[in-house]
Amino acid sequence: MNIQDNYQKNKKNIFFSDNKDIQSHRDKLINIFETDRFDRKNNESLKNINLKKFIDFKYKYLVSAETSVINNNQDNSYSIVSVNGQCSSFKDDKIEITKILDKDYNDFSKNNTIEKNDHFVNLNSLFLNSGFKIVIKKNNNIKIKISNIVTDDNLTIFQKNNYICEEGSSLNLIEEYENKNNSTSNILNVINLENNSQLNHFLIQDNSSNHNLIITSHSSCKKDSNYTQKVYNFSEGYVRNFHYSELIEANSEADLQGIFFLKDNNTSNNKTFVKHLAEDCKSNQVYKGILNDRSKATYFSNTHVDQVAQKTEGYQLSKGILLSDNASYFSKPELKIYADDVKCSHGSTIGPIDENAIFYLRSRGMSKIAATKILISSFINEELSSIDNEQMSEIIQKKLVRYLSKVK
Amino acid sequence: MFLEIKDLSVKIENKNILNGLNLNINKGEVHAIMGPNGCGKSTLANVLAGKEDYEILNGKINFKDNDLFDLNIEERAQEGMFLAFQYPVEIPGVNITPFLHSAINSKRKRINEEEIDNLSFAKLLKSKASDLGINIDMLKRSVNTGFSGGEKKRYEILQMSILNPDLAILDETDSGLDIDALKIVTEGVNKLKTKNNSFLIITHYQKLLDYIKPDHVHVMVNGSIVKSGGSEIAAEIEKDGFQKFQ
Repeated sequence: MNIQDNYQKNKKNIFFSDNKDIQSHRDKLINIFETDRFDRKNNESLKNINLKKFIDFKYKYLVSAETSVINNNQDNSYSIVSVNGQCSSFKDDKIEITKILDKDYNDFSKNNTIEKNDHFVNLNSLFLNSGFKIVIKKNNNIKIKISNIVTDDNLTIFQKNNYICEEGSSLNLIEEYENKNNSTSNILNVINLENNSQLNHFLIQDNSSNHNLIITSHSSCKKDSNYTQKVYNFSEGYVRNFHYSELIEANSEADLQGIFFLKDNNTSNNKTFVKHLAEDCKSNQVYKGILNDRSKATYFSNTHVDQVAQKTEGYQLSKGILLSDNASYFSKPELKIYADDVKCSHGSTIGPIDENAIFYLRSRGMSKIAATKILISSFINEELSSIDNEQMSEIIQKKLVRYLSKVK
Repeated sequence: MFLEIKDLSVKIENKNILNGLNLNINKGEVHAIMGPNGCGKSTLANVLAGKEDYEILNGKINFKDNDLFDLNIEERAQEGMFLAFQYPVEIPGVNITPFLHSAINSKRKRINEEEIDNLSFAKLLKSKASDLGINIDMLKRSVNTGFSGGEKKRYEILQMSILNPDLAILDETDSGLDIDALKIVTEGVNKLKTKNNSFLIITHYQKLLDYIKPDHVHVMVNGSIVKSGGSEIAAEIEKDGFQKFQ
């Protein structure tokens, strides 16, 4: 079934299909799909992807907002179970959670950093069937843990979420994606940080081999705000992590980090993009990958420094370890600088595990497998030891041990 | 015989490095091998430790009644062989203390000795580090990472004193050391020396042998031992160089 037929057939389940403006935007998107026909050659979002399963999907959607759970724990922390992309409404003096509205959709579609030809983001807009908005109120400091659950086989979740951190607020957000059924989640997180706010965002991805996760985020940072994102991808299924950040006012910071652990035939596509649009801003983009068996990964990083963005500091780094001759990792760092007073760098190193280090460790009595594991752990030691959230640190360590147990 | 090397020939990337080398070391002996650059000294050290880049063309090595070629790298270490590297590898993110703890316990496990617990190991490490003038703070760092040349060599000797090997191979441990560091390192080696362990010391210069007295000195040229004798050979080399042996 083609995209248009799929859309027409399921229109009644799709959010905002009675809104004329949105319908007009969607018509344009359908037109792009019809004319572009998923031309891989000129579209970065389509490279190294098994497109068939994303284009020929069977649209199936269950409404299940009733099963979402929100707990207001004593220590300013909230637990949310988002079922099939839905979350119940909730309000107290610190946060407010609502379903997304037509107005929010329009804000998403105005965004200009995410490429217009990113077909996965366009599919998300076209088939939108879930999503929520969370507002952290002024000067509050809270923690939220969201478990994202998909309940049935063959479900296709197209979800848009909006996180707003009001002035002076601070949010520690842990998102877990641990789905074991044959389904696809296509999620767009739009994040707005007001003046002097802070968001530490952890994403733990650990889906089974039959679940596909396409996650895109766009963060926008106002004066003195700080967005930190740490992605840990242990999934056995396909994951696409595309994360964009705009530093729109002075002295704001974006730190986009990721580690992926791949094995078997799995693939992961990754991208980070930071736009410096104001002076005195800092950004950091660091992705590390460990690839075993026949796994494949790509990582595109990009720093764009506008001409007004003087005193920018922007760093990019990509590192990969290939544990097998059949694994591959393609990395492409890019810098576009239009200001003259900046400090920027980029670097990329990919290769097999250091044989001299293996020999050194073995010559002290360590087995080859123990030496390999210790070197893998050391490769990401800096990132793991910098996790200041004890609960997160424990979760990641356990998953790392599980991944290492499969390394032969 | 503790270590017996018979007619050993080795090549790497189509280049013959060792050519029919013979060497016997008894328990409790200190042997020194001297030779010009590129004569195969480090290759011999690496082949003994088990580095897999080399192709063994001919020969046999027996170590403590084992055919050495039947043992892989870690089994050789667990059997009591230790190589102090000429260029110790930097391994960022691998902390010295747990690494050495794990190394000593892998050896103990092989010889059916009880594993050493955290507290006892910490005490042992602290005391050995202090003997070698190693600052305790250094033990919190990653293996060889950010160490100066002298610190790396001192750290090799610290590992050696912790693992207490039966046969220690020191591959140009003196290179890159100033005179004070050389004294500390050689004192560390001398403290370890007993009638039950042996040393194979690879060096260019006699200086090291002023501090560690060898029982036998061998001259190696083009991958073979061309002359063996006592300390007088080292003095001869210091005076006339290697030219006359080539």
